Amino acid sequence: MKFFNLIYFIFLSALVAFTVYLYFNIEDLEIKVKENIKSVILKNTSYFSDNVLSILPKNCIKENDLHRILQENASLRKELEEKMQMLVTPSFKYVYMLYKDNNGNYRYLLDGSKSDKGFFDSKFNVNTKEWDKVYTTKQTNIVFQDNLDGLWITLLQPYITNGEVQGIVAMDFATSILKDFSRVVAPLKSVFFYVFIAIIFLFSVITYQIILQLRTKKEAITDPLTQAYNRVYLRNFLEKINFNHYDLAMFDLDYFKKVNDNYGHKAGDMVLQSFATIVQNNIRNKDVFVRFGGEEFMLFIYKGKKYTHQSEAVVERIRKAVEESQLFYDGIMIKVTVSIGLVTDIHKYKNIQEAIKQADENLYEAKHKGRNLVVSCQSQKKQEQNNSLRIGEVKFALDEGCVFCHFQPIVDLKNNTIVKYEALVRLRDTEGRVVYPNAFLEVIERTNIYRDLTKNVLEIVFAMIARQKVNISMNLNLSDIIDNAIYTMLLKELQSHKDLSKYLTIELLEYEAVVDEILIKRLHDIKSYGVTIALDDFGTGYSNFSIFENFPIDIIKIDGSLIKEIDSSKTSLVVVQSIMSLADGLGMEVIAEFVHNEAVLMKLKELKIKFGQGFHLGKPQEKIG
Amino acid sequence: MKIVVFILLISSLLFSSTAVETEKKVYAIILKAIFPQKKSIYIWTDKPSKEALFAALPRVKVVKNVQDADLLMIFKDHDREFHKKLIFANGYLVFQRDKGNVIGGFYWQKGRPNLVFKKSKLHKNNIKIPKNLEKYVDERE
Repeated sequence: MKFFNLIYFIFLSALVAFTVYLYFNIEDLEIKVKENIKSVILKNTSYFSDNVLSILPKNCIKENDLHRILQENASLRKELEEKMQMLVTPSFKYVYMLYKDNNGNYRYLLDGSKSDKGFFDSKFNVNTKEWDKVYTTKQTNIVFQDNLDGLWITLLQPYITNGEVQGIVAMDFATSILKDFSRVVAPLKSVFFYVFIAIIFLFSVITYQIILQLRTKKEAITDPLTQAYNRVYLRNFLEKINFNHYDLAMFDLDYFKKVNDNYGHKAGDMVLQSFATIVQNNIRNKDVFVRFGGEEFMLFIYKGKKYTHQSEAVVERIRKAVEESQLFYDGIMIKVTVSIGLVTDIHKYKNIQEAIKQADENLYEAKHKGRNLVVSCQSQKKQEQNNSLRIGEVKFALDEGCVFCHFQPIVDLKNNTIVKYEALVRLRDTEGRVVYPNAFLEVIERTNIYRDLTKNVLEIVFAMIARQKVNISMNLNLSDIIDNAIYTMLLKELQSHKDLSKYLTIELLEYEAVVDEILIKRLHDIKSYGVTIALDDFGTGYSNFSIFENFPIDIIKIDGSLIKEIDSSKTSLVVVQSIMSLADGLGMEVIAEFVHNEAVLMKLKELKIKFGQGFHLGKPQEKIG
Repeated sequence: MKIVVFILLISSLLFSSTAVETEKKVYAIILKAIFPQKKSIYIWTDKPSKEALFAALPRVKVVKNVQDADLLMIFKDHDREFHKKLIFANGYLVFQRDKGNVIGGFYWQKGRPNLVFKKSKLHKNNIKIPKNLEKYVDERE
């Protein structure tokens, strides 16, 4: 389509150029023809004028001698006028001779004209300026008198004797040749002129339509409130983008909801508009600013082929500008700040969605760290990204049976016997290397492969239980229980291994989530199969104590970060003691993770913690027994 | 270009009326020069088609009787006697032959407009021409 538009444009341009060329060529031709005709006429006129001069008396000595001679000799006048009359043709309409009297008036000496004949010595009104010029310069003067009816050229030639101008021979030449020529050429010129006008009109219409189209297109891809690009544009942009040339930043206005709640949506709109203006004022034309949704914006910072990270300075500048801005609504000043997640080197990500996800995570981190911050993707994260498996690789490992578990013993600290094992999932990559969960779990999160992997682990665990008749725990996120597919699969597995379920412990992760009725019911259902429920990594983050009220929990596993320093950190010691007290009060067992040396072990024994897990007690192994 | 064509077209359509207007202006100037103070100027003309033109001039009243006229506007060279009535010639021959009291003339010759006042006749009839028209006064006759 664009190709055809270009062809149309070139064709129309060529047509315009051709028409203009022809139009001006015809005009040029007309001018040249006119000049040629003028030249020929002037030559002839001059020749006739010379003839007139040749018949005039030569015995004039003083000024106005000719007047005197002609005044005294009427027959000579008649004779000369008759001779002059011979030169009169339809073109050379008037042939006459005037002189200038003492008062500066021009009067007839001779008149060879057949019509409008002037009497000797009678006054004749002429263009004095042109005639005086002949007297002064004593040179022939040509006067173009287009304004006179039917006249065109008047040739004025002085009759000079003894250095004195005795009179001026005038020849009025009238012709319609030029008018006829112009009349002939005029339609041709008109045709080209109207073609030119038509093309210009066509051009104008096309230009107008293009402007309308562009405006419509712009409206379709622009957010009407902030004038930033919208998601429609983003979708197209992402298809065309060269990831090497951009850095990506995600913006989120801090406490924007409060602005809307406190001052109303109009104030919120004003804040969004002002924020967008601030950003637009701090970026270049090549940068792409998109309203991602609500108060969330996205900025693609163009860096071209230069792999420098000036983007951090750009977003920091924006953050500062927003922070320093004073927005007023109805006379009330509203202070706003913005949190920014920045991702550089987008090309290092598997796809743009991954980069956007990373920017979003960085933005979340900025919010988490207190807002009004820029958090950029650091090299460590990039390294992690590089070390991570791709989804396809995880799927391949699943299909090829390269998923397996390491089992780490959980020990009764009192008698130093193994009471349970924790199953820890591993993959073997194509080169035979063991890949740990942190390198693939995040990649397959919320995908069918994750469910398949969970099922696979469950099967491995039950197979081991069936073989060894030992207690084994496995990790599940709370979201896995919420996930219908995983939950259904889990129930199915428990149903088919009914007699082995009592050996299974499910260690719940990420249980800070909201307590949900369905979730509670599902946990009770799982527990009804004899499954033990444990809370993993307890004691850090934002532990939600209401879970003890609702969840059927049997075991609390104290987070390793508390245990590893329990021999040296008083805080850790106090927290652990509190957890123990809580567990004791609720009738729950306690397992201490991360028992990595003898000192920690001794401290745990001293605290009378019943169970422990860690490298000092036993490393994860592929086999049990 | 289109605009120019339009202007030319309109100009040509209006040309005739403009020529009449110009003619009126010239006669108005002439009459004002000859009769600067007179409240009503009675004019007789030998060209009936011009009566409307003269009648449209300020202070002018066209009369049918030569005797009632202050000024005769003569276009044709004829032998009629006009006695001592002031005559303004509207043709070159009428002006040149001067069969009566011709004080001046306005006529076209060789495509050029000519306005001439005869000095002796102006003097004789006690007519004083304003300065701006003095260049049209011919001292010779």
